[in-house]
Amino acid sequence: MMKTILSKSSKFGIVAGIILIFCEMINLTSTLAEILEKLFTGGTAAKNAITPFYMGLVVGLIVFFTTINFLRTRNSQKKYSFGQGFFAAVTISIVSGLLISLLNIILGSYLVNGKDVRVYLEALAPDVIRAFLFQTDIQKAVTYYFMSTILGSMAALILFWISQKTNQPAKSVRALTHLKEKIQIGRAFERYPAVKTVLILLLIIAFLLLPLVINAYTISVLGIVLIYAIMGLGLNLIVGLSGQLVFGYVAFFALGAYTFGLLTAPKPFGIEMNFWLALLVSLIVAGIGGFLVGLPIMNLRGDYLAIVTLGFAEIVRILINSNLMADYTGGPQGIKNIGQPIQPSIFEKYFGEPLEDNVWFLYLIIFVFLIVLYAAFRLQYSRTGRSWEAMREDETVAQACGVTTSSYKVLAIVIGAAIAGAAGALYASRNTYTGPSEYAFMVSVNALAVVVVGGMGSIPGTLLGAFIIKGLPELLRDLENYRMVVFGALLIVMMIIRPEGIWPVKRRKLSVAPESIEILKEDLKP
Amino acid sequence: MYFEIKDLQVYYRAIHALKGISLTVNKGEIVALIGGNGAGKSSTLNSISGLVQGQSGVITYKDEVITGLPTDMIVKKGIIQVPEGRHIFPKLTVQENLEMGAFLNDNKAQVEEDMEHVYQLFPRMRERRTQPGGTLSGGEQQMLAIGRGLMGHPDLMLLDEPSMGLAPILVEQIFDIIFDINQTGTSILLVEQNAQMALAIADRGYVLETGEIVVSGTGQELLNDPKVQAAYLGGESEQEKLQKGDYYF
Repeated sequence: MMKTILSKSSKFGIVAGIILIFCEMINLTSTLAEILEKLFTGGTAAKNAITPFYMGLVVGLIVFFTTINFLRTRNSQKKYSFGQGFFAAVTISIVSGLLISLLNIILGSYLVNGKDVRVYLEALAPDVIRAFLFQTDIQKAVTYYFMSTILGSMAALILFWISQKTNQPAKSVRALTHLKEKIQIGRAFERYPAVKTVLILLLIIAFLLLPLVINAYTISVLGIVLIYAIMGLGLNLIVGLSGQLVFGYVAFFALGAYTFGLLTAPKPFGIEMNFWLALLVSLIVAGIGGFLVGLPIMNLRGDYLAIVTLGFAEIVRILINSNLMADYTGGPQGIKNIGQPIQPSIFEKYFGEPLEDNVWFLYLIIFVFLIVLYAAFRLQYSRTGRSWEAMREDETVAQACGVTTSSYKVLAIVIGAAIAGAAGALYASRNTYTGPSEYAFMVSVNALAVVVVGGMGSIPGTLLGAFIIKGLPELLRDLENYRMVVFGALLIVMMIIRPEGIWPVKRRKLSVAPESIEILKEDLKP
Repeated sequence: MYFEIKDLQVYYRAIHALKGISLTVNKGEIVALIGGNGAGKSSTLNSISGLVQGQSGVITYKDEVITGLPTDMIVKKGIIQVPEGRHIFPKLTVQENLEMGAFLNDNKAQVEEDMEHVYQLFPRMRERRTQPGGTLSGGEQQMLAIGRGLMGHPDLMLLDEPSMGLAPILVEQIFDIIFDINQTGTSILLVEQNAQMALAIADRGYVLETGEIVVSGTGQELLNDPKVQAAYLGGESEQEKLQKGDYYF
């Protein structure tokens, strides 16, 4: 028994050690320590003089979570005794402490000898290494590291032990569910439909007042989030509802943006069309693009669409970047001075003066967003939406039920592409510029992530996904270069905790005629 | 003639799945099509309902050629297939599954009436109507699949192995239900591996082997046919068959 615990806990120790080493090598540890220090002391931390306490805290926390994880693994079948837990915790802390100390001994001796590690590890400036050495010499630093790892794992052990003894987490979970039952929001909605309407109205009003109170930075972030939400809603129709995987969604976004650009910019054609008309045309052009892509594959099953759209996106991106089309698309320089809509005089009447351009444009995005949102809801619960869902669940049976699957497939792609086109047009108009570099593959990946993270086929999930994928990285700005690392880690954690997405689809409650319930009661009688 | 297949041939690339089969179904009959794995039973049904297009042959229904029509047209004409392996929509609720069965029916009142009819036939479905189809047990899923077929007002119902993977008591229940459906005037073409049960309720039957019909007759005749008994009903022991040397393939 002890032997298996020893080998398993030393494995966990090695994992903790590797995490510590990795975080130190990319200098994430000190950044985290800095943020913690800022959090606790109120933003006075100096960049290169992190208090050793916070450094230890970060190291301790990493070991803490590893130990908790170790203790929880066997929790379900057989509990560790306190002695076994203690033994494991000590092993974990010693192994991880050993590994991280080793790295710091090496780095410390480099520092003492006056060599610059930055040749190999870009992030590790001498100041940073000093911070990692707890601003003292190597021997003391090693002691501190062991202290932090041991304290971390002991804290985990004690916390776990207390929770085991008092059954604290189970109790709190039970309390939560109890609370949920007590409130029964859903039930209240069912009984008083007006409550739901009023709440939704209040939410919309709050949403509409938002642009007036937030600062310029938040306005720009919110604009991007909403544009991605529009894209997500469109892609959700294709991927979430009709169950076809589209990888190159950015192609339709680009089609919309460029169509809009060409129609409203003074160069190269000088059409300078009305905003709304141009928006409509870009929507239609993107829809036609979707139709052309969907046509050859409508009778195929499987992942062909993913590959075809991926290729299509690359073709579009390369074409708009190429010399061949440079006369029309401006090549790598893109299209400049794209038109923006004129602010209607209503705003001036109400507010006394015209709104600032960015505020007004945010309203415009919100307006388009609400229309798309409404359309998405209507589509999902329509006959078309139902047949998409049936197709996603089982194509053969859907066909056997009389759904002409090939045309419904193309329809999903066309509508989804048109929505992306509208989003693209908004995006181009917002930036008054569009260039090929904005339509990289990453945009498709982000749009897909919006749908998947939120919960495939779920409209509220898609909105949440847009806030997480495009909003969260902005909130994580403090982490500077590491925000993408942290963001990736968060995504992984989210998908582990909620594999169906954060807000998965819940089948709509069906309204049942009262007489049907009576019959049911009859049926259920013994 | 109510329903007739003449010399139907189906290829999947190089595989000759159906080598020219001919069969008929009269109005109000239950016709069983039995055969082992890979005999071409499902291919026959799929080509009737248009899911698979045959290379040659003519299918007529109510004196009208339906060969090559798209599936939704065939469904509209009242030929409804219940696919094999309890294919249901796992994430849609039971009620939504049933509603999909009436996809081509625009008459809402009619759909509700049909739903009520299905619920009467399968009280269990009413009980579970808000539950996702995937959470039902095997037998319930088969009932749901049949119920969904009924929602389309079948005139001729194509049942693909309704007993597959079910416990004997459930198999009996399902066959009772099939018999009841037939009593209300729906003609049934039943594909089965469970020859005993299928032939017991069938008016007539066909035995299909490697893409060809080898024996046909009334249900009773086939049940008494020694060759059919040997191959599908376990009439003789393996030893006896080997000794007699008339292994039926």
